[in-house]
Amino acid sequence: MATHEELGECLADFRDRCNADPQLRRLLLDWDRDILVQATDADSSYVLTVRDGTVYLDHRGGEVGRPDVTVSAEIALLVELFSGRITPTEPYLNGTLKVLGTEEDVMRLDFISLMIWGE
Amino acid sequence: MRKVVSVSLGSSSRDHEVVAEFLGQEFIVSRVGTDGDFERAQQLIRELDGRVDAIGLGGIDVYLYAAGERYALRDGLRLMECARFTPVVDGSGLKNTLERQAVYFLRDRGLLEPGTRVLMVSAVDRFGMAEALAGVGCRLICGDLMFAAGVPYPIEGLEELAKMAKKLLPEMAKMPFHMLYPTGKKQEEKAANAAKFAAYFEQAEVIAGDFHFIKRYSPDRLEQKTILTNTVTQKDVQTLREQGVKWLVTTTPELGGRSFGTNVLEAVLVALLGKRWEEITAEDYLDLLEKLRLEPRLERLN
Repeated sequence: MATHEELGECLADFRDRCNADPQLRRLLLDWDRDILVQATDADSSYVLTVRDGTVYLDHRGGEVGRPDVTVSAEIALLVELFSGRITPTEPYLNGTLKVLGTEEDVMRLDFISLMIWGE
Repeated sequence: MRKVVSVSLGSSSRDHEVVAEFLGQEFIVSRVGTDGDFERAQQLIRELDGRVDAIGLGGIDVYLYAAGERYALRDGLRLMECARFTPVVDGSGLKNTLERQAVYFLRDRGLLEPGTRVLMVSAVDRFGMAEALAGVGCRLICGDLMFAAGVPYPIEGLEELAKMAKKLLPEMAKMPFHMLYPTGKKQEEKAANAAKFAAYFEQAEVIAGDFHFIKRYSPDRLEQKTILTNTVTQKDVQTLREQGVKWLVTTTPELGGRSFGTNVLEAVLVALLGKRWEEITAEDYLDLLEKLRLEPRLERLN
């Protein structure tokens, strides 16, 4: 089973990839969000915060007040997703990945991962 | 009399039926909107299968194109597969021919010239038009990310569009269609985030592409603009006139007071050709379009 630390490493890599890509940063400029990433089968949660096109990672997942978007799944799936080994569309459609937020926010998250890892 | 029906995920308020003659054959051409109800659209296609000459799919695309690549939308395929006997078309075959010609039609009348600033609200569903616009030297901004995904990123030119499409479309094509395109009642409403994109409309001289995107995102004033689109009703024309639009061009001709979607016209052509859709070539469409002498509708509104 994947661990809290592994998930943290993947999310840190995700954050770094976003921040290193000028085009992606530009695409996030209008999208200030608090995104809670929460494992459903482990005591593990993180917060990705997007402000002015920059992504920050916070380990105090359980303390975030009202996230704009909540991404939850089994920890192994979250690790797969945030390391780019799988895309979010299928797990989102088959219900193993839950994303609570507006449709626009769901699309934007999908979009970010495709911009990083798409072919 | 031959019968062609367009089953649309769009609003039923735009339903319409006309009798028209094509190459000496009479057709009843009708459009049935399902107000975004996907299952109803599936059911309707099953009921029409084998009972009409061709079915058009409206308010949804099956195939999107960018730089020679074709991407199939999962929901579009699901609808297409509901018919076993009657050919089902989404208009993409015709868009690639008819809509290119519409661009040359405008160029020949001096309404497009090298350097004309064009906002193409969505290019992957009308790649032929986008390619023709770029080909005649227009400065093209593609709004695919803005209007389909809410991302305020104007795609500048076809090369960038192709790169983005390659990254995004294989996955996005799997998303439920209503997340990518306004269906049902959404077609009648202004988008909540429309103001975010107003500047792109203001900077353009020509606004081209899908009318529902134009309607949903355009600012109140479109002074002196040319609109190059399709599927407008008489009410839409009146609204565009009030917004100050100068020229309205629709890629399909007016039938019974409105311009039907390319899916409708493609369905008519498929019925006339009597061939399997997969066997029809661009040349078949071009030959038939020439025989039919179909021209875009060009109307000065202000």
